[in-house]
Amino acid sequence: MNPRRQKRLVAVSAVVLVVAGAVGLMLYALNENIDLFYTPSEIVEGKQGQLPKVGQRLRIGGMVVPGTVARDQKSLAVSFDLIDTGPVVTVSYKGILPDLFREGQGIVATGVLTEANYIVADEVLAKHDEEYMPPELAEKMKGIKHVKPQNLGGTD
Amino acid sequence: MLAELGNFALVIALMMSMLLAIYPMWGAYKNHAQMMALAKPLAIGLFVFTLFAYIVLTRAFIENDFSLAYVAHHSNSLLPWYYRVTAVWGGHEGSFLLWVLIFSLWTVAVALFSRAIPIQMVARVLAVLGLVAMGFYLFILLASNPFDRLLPFYPVDGRDLNPLLQDFGMIIHPPMLYMGYVGFSVAFAFAIAALISGKLDSTWARWSRPWTIAAWCFLTVGIALGSWWAYYELGWGGWWFWDPSENAAFMPWLVGTALMHSLAVTEKRKVFKSWTVLLAISAFSMSLLGTFLIRSGILVSVHAFATDPTRGLFILGILAVTVGGSLLLYALRAPQLKSTGRYELFSREVLLIGNNVLLTAATIVVFLGTLLPLVHKELGLGSISIGAPFFNQMFVFLIVPFVFLMGLGPLSRWKRQSPTALVRQLLIAFGISLSAAVLVIFSYDQAAYMAALGMTLSFWILLTTLQEVMQRIEGNKGELSVVAKLRALTPSHWGMVLGHVGFAVTLIGITLVSNYEQESDVRMSTGDSINIGGYDFVFNGVEELKGPNYGGHVGLVDVFEDGDFVSALAAEKRFYPVQRTTMTEAGIDSGLTRDLFVALGERLDNGDWALRIYVKPFVNWIWAGAFIMGIGGIFSIADRRYRMAKVAKFKSLTSNGKTIEPATEAN
Amino acid sequence: MKKVLIFLLPLGFFVLVALFLFQGLFSDPRARDSSLVNKPLPDFNLPDLMQPQVEYTPEVFKGQVSLLNVWGVWCITCAIELPYLTELSDNGVRIVGLYYDQDTDPDFGTKTVGTIQQEVNAKLGQLGNPYAFNIFDTYRDYSLDLGVTGAPETFLIDKKGVIRMHHIGDVNPRVWKNKIGPVYQRLMSE
Repeated sequence: MNPRRQKRLVAVSAVVLVVAGAVGLMLYALNENIDLFYTPSEIVEGKQGQLPKVGQRLRIGGMVVPGTVARDQKSLAVSFDLIDTGPVVTVSYKGILPDLFREGQGIVATGVLTEANYIVADEVLAKHDEEYMPPELAEKMKGIKHVKPQNLGGTD
Repeated sequence: MLAELGNFALVIALMMSMLLAIYPMWGAYKNHAQMMALAKPLAIGLFVFTLFAYIVLTRAFIENDFSLAYVAHHSNSLLPWYYRVTAVWGGHEGSFLLWVLIFSLWTVAVALFSRAIPIQMVARVLAVLGLVAMGFYLFILLASNPFDRLLPFYPVDGRDLNPLLQDFGMIIHPPMLYMGYVGFSVAFAFAIAALISGKLDSTWARWSRPWTIAAWCFLTVGIALGSWWAYYELGWGGWWFWDPSENAAFMPWLVGTALMHSLAVTEKRKVFKSWTVLLAISAFSMSLLGTFLIRSGILVSVHAFATDPTRGLFILGILAVTVGGSLLLYALRAPQLKSTGRYELFSREVLLIGNNVLLTAATIVVFLGTLLPLVHKELGLGSISIGAPFFNQMFVFLIVPFVFLMGLGPLSRWKRQSPTALVRQLLIAFGISLSAAVLVIFSYDQAAYMAALGMTLSFWILLTTLQEVMQRIEGNKGELSVVAKLRALTPSHWGMVLGHVGFAVTLIGITLVSNYEQESDVRMSTGDSINIGGYDFVFNGVEELKGPNYGGHVGLVDVFEDGDFVSALAAEKRFYPVQRTTMTEAGIDSGLTRDLFVALGERLDNGDWALRIYVKPFVNWIWAGAFIMGIGGIFSIADRRYRMAKVAKFKSLTSNGKTIEPATEAN
Repeated sequence: MKKVLIFLLPLGFFVLVALFLFQGLFSDPRARDSSLVNKPLPDFNLPDLMQPQVEYTPEVFKGQVSLLNVWGVWCITCAIELPYLTELSDNGVRIVGLYYDQDTDPDFGTKTVGTIQQEVNAKLGQLGNPYAFNIFDTYRDYSLDLGVTGAPETFLIDKKGVIRMHHIGDVNPRVWKNKIGPVYQRLMSE
């Protein structure tokens, strides 16, 4: 091998090594930081047959159940329930809620599942006026079947 | 009537871009001087007509001509006049008009300032720009026309500009960003013209260098302004969110930074030619991709424009033709590129390419983090989001080798550097950086490994840069004073020094604010006080707020340090009735070493208020560093070497094998 | 040749990315409105707003040209277009309402249907009632099926129950004269 080739080989293998290392690190970091999107019923009943694990980071999107927003009287801790079509999941959060957070509105929260139906959120997003619904939520809500509202009058 | 003229001007501009794409290219192919000479007047015409259209639209905004749909949707008679002027780019159509205006501005600049470049080259470059422009003018006229009328019945008043955009930062952020984005089209056009002509020597690299640096400067400052705007306007106190729209601007910046350095190697050492060409194509492709991502609304983000699949499809078509075509051309022509220069493994060439690799890796990280959620969803694997921790983690990994090489590169020689000759210098630099970092860390309450790492890296850049300047002075054997020797350094050398120092300054800001910021969301009633980061924040209650087109509340907070009054902050919560939007305007006391930041949250049940309070050390350094980098870029462009009329003279010098700048090549 | 392959890599990579971007463009649930034009109404089975025991299916649109107007009492622009819609309906245009309320979902029951009915009656009594009847989009999902992103939005539906036009924003004399009216007349004569 002439020196020029040898040099090139060293250079190329160095580049390959760096790239491989970077890809490895990246995959590792990705694995740690992908937040899967769930709806409340998927958290309780499982998504494609799989329940999220306690301790897992995830995103949840659902409607804030009216009357469940409870503020701590001393601090900024707040908890509320989220629902889509089935069971309810409770989210707790400490801090300032976004400007558009309202009962009965769709929100997206990112956090850690600490119990089977309890999430400690570190981020709550609500970009939702009458014209906007988080796209993930819009997509999930589409799957909901049309049910005749039999109990419409009674849920006062 | 005027609006129709504006529309007509755009049609003429479209036709001019078509002519510009055809005649000079054909002329260059046939070596027909007259056809090539057409390029310049056509480029000027393109600019003039686009400018006319732009002025017409601005006038419509100033005069509240709500018969134009675009004006009616984005302005309002209550809006102050200066926001009416900037509202022109507040929505999709108008900001796209600004985009093409800036594109034509770059085109005309190339036409006017390239007298020293052979006419065939200029003709091809302008033709390539014309071709790209054609796509965008078609897009404006067919899918996004700002001159569409709401006739014969039009609203009495407009819908108002998005309150987020009613802000000084927004006045200058988009034009700056677009100047950068679009500016990479020039480097792209030079690369494509070189590929088409088959003249793949490194002269094209010299010609496109000042243009690339100029675009890079604008982009750097544009991104910094965007970050600053997000910091004080979005009310979340963050300065970077890894939001898709931020990433869309950051990717061209990373590639552009790599390109800027790679161009230097290709120009001076005639190596890495095919790599540089690929970077030139990629930088502009990333700009186009960014435009697509934001315009199509494909990724939902803080400031995505409204979604419209036809528009997205159109831009995707432009993207496919432009990028696909140029990459195909690249695949066909690049194998002929031969690097002639020779270099050893340890040399400035290799160090620079090393940094290029790291910058590319960084681009891939951002690219992946931005697009993976989309790919994931399209593959039917469900919706995911990739959080900021991913990017942060990856950038911490990448920045260590990057900064190491950044310090090493300027100290090393071209072709071959003896490692042993540098070891002493490097050890000194490393020792001082580490001790300085430790000192800084101990001035804070608690030590953090990340802070120590970041500070070491920053000092490392500063010290090696200093060493490099000293090396140059010692290398100058003349009987001159130190000041005179410093003066003898070229502007482009100072450009590099400033660029690197600016980066270090930004890094210091990032390190200190990420590790030592004090953040607190608190619940306060009038008269309450809280101590955060050594400052006492006293809440003096909330007052009603009345603005020209908004109402709301303002929270008053006085800040004391050790009993001494520091500042009175007013944190506003505005409500814009026309758009029915609530906006948080933080109260900020800005300083060299720290910012005090208060944002008003919601009113709680018993009349208390939620407040978000931050003490952010050195946060301003992040943006200051970016401005220093921008100034460095201006120095580089100002270098005599790039004054276009002189290029020809220097070209004859280089072809004799002589060095261009004694100062840069001396050691 | 091997060399060319290496230089083709960027192109290949780009093509792959472009494919995903292309696909991604059409998977936004909020961006499907235009794709529904010239297609039959999506299937539904929803109750009447005033008489929940009455249920409607797309059959109710067969045989007549109708406007399907998506609205709510909370929507300001809807109130603005109500008088003009009433004028249209007085001139014989069949207008069907698709009512959706932003603050309600029967499962949570902030508002009962009774409350909504009261509000709707009050609003219509005040501004005119253009509607032949109102379909109650109980879960707000039918408006989603239709690609509705806000209110008001209006669909023009032909005698076969096919959507012929989707208008976002209020219906006013100008829109009617220039956009909807001509198509409406043509559909009537079909």
